[in-house]
Amino acid sequence: MNCECPVELLSLYAEGEVGAEERLQVEAHLLTCPSCAELLSALRETSASLRAIPELEVSRELLSRLYAIPEKKKRFSFSLDFLLRPSLQPVLTVATIFLILVSVYFFNPNKKQFDRVVDRQLHLGYGTVEKIYAKAGSVTDSLGSYKDTFLGSLKKLKFWEKPKD
Amino acid sequence: MLVNTYSKRIFNLAYRFAGSYQEAEDLTQEIFLKVYHSLTKYDFAKNFTAWLITLSKNYLIDEYRRTKWEKKNRDDFDDRLLSAAPTEGPEANLIREENKRMVWKSLNVLSSEIRMTVILRDIQGKSYEEIAEELDLPVGTVKSRVNRGRLQLAKILQDRKESADEL
Repeated sequence: MNCECPVELLSLYAEGEVGAEERLQVEAHLLTCPSCAELLSALRETSASLRAIPELEVSRELLSRLYAIPEKKKRFSFSLDFLLRPSLQPVLTVATIFLILVSVYFFNPNKKQFDRVVDRQLHLGYGTVEKIYAKAGSVTDSLGSYKDTFLGSLKKLKFWEKPKD
Repeated sequence: MLVNTYSKRIFNLAYRFAGSYQEAEDLTQEIFLKVYHSLTKYDFAKNFTAWLITLSKNYLIDEYRRTKWEKKNRDDFDDRLLSAAPTEGPEANLIREENKRMVWKSLNVLSSEIRMTVILRDIQGKSYEEIAEELDLPVGTVKSRVNRGRLQLAKILQDRKESADEL
């Protein structure tokens, strides 16, 4: 077989898928090239053998396995549907944020320093709250003293007593 | 409905591609599982059969690449696959059966893409246009793949004959 052999056209020729010009070209070549004629015969045998491979029936066992698939999927998707309920979305969002914060805390490379900063901030906050509480106490004390003075001065006025004739 | 209509077609495609009955049953089940999971992605404007075949073909080729079936042998070409057609006398039938056996065994020599096109064209008898739609390829590429596959198989058959003649 040499490079002029139209090998690429042979299988299409065998099934009648070539145009008139190509068909004539192949037929002319086949008259002079016994190796291409042999290949064409082998191609026809190959196609005939492939076509003769029968279709098999599906076994009952496989059919029952296939029928069971949608049921399996339903059971599986039930749990997924439950998790994907819209009402659970805020809960899942909060849980995600919480997990992110926890992971940031635990996987922080400067965890000790971070702890120290948090501790200091907490103490500062606690101190501030104590100061505010103390100030609030002094405010209530001074309000109490104002109340007493006010009531004492009202008593001294005695404007509700009737004037003596 | 889906199983009744398509199980035979998918099973036969898987069997011809993989060459193993047991493997084909497992693959068919996995393809149907994938189909049920992918049904939400199906575009109703498209041909359902073509979509299903494309999905099956992609799955089979991916599995083939992942597990390398080509290292395994195909099932023996047994009675299940020998269609009874004794019309040309015992000797002609014997030759024809031997050819079928040879071609069946040689399918694993072809690359997965070429094997798939040969199966769809020569075993399932689809037109080049149908195959092109199902495999999402140009018709010219399909023709070229089928041609290459047939030539490979024909040469194997020829070599076998020549070595038998020499004996």
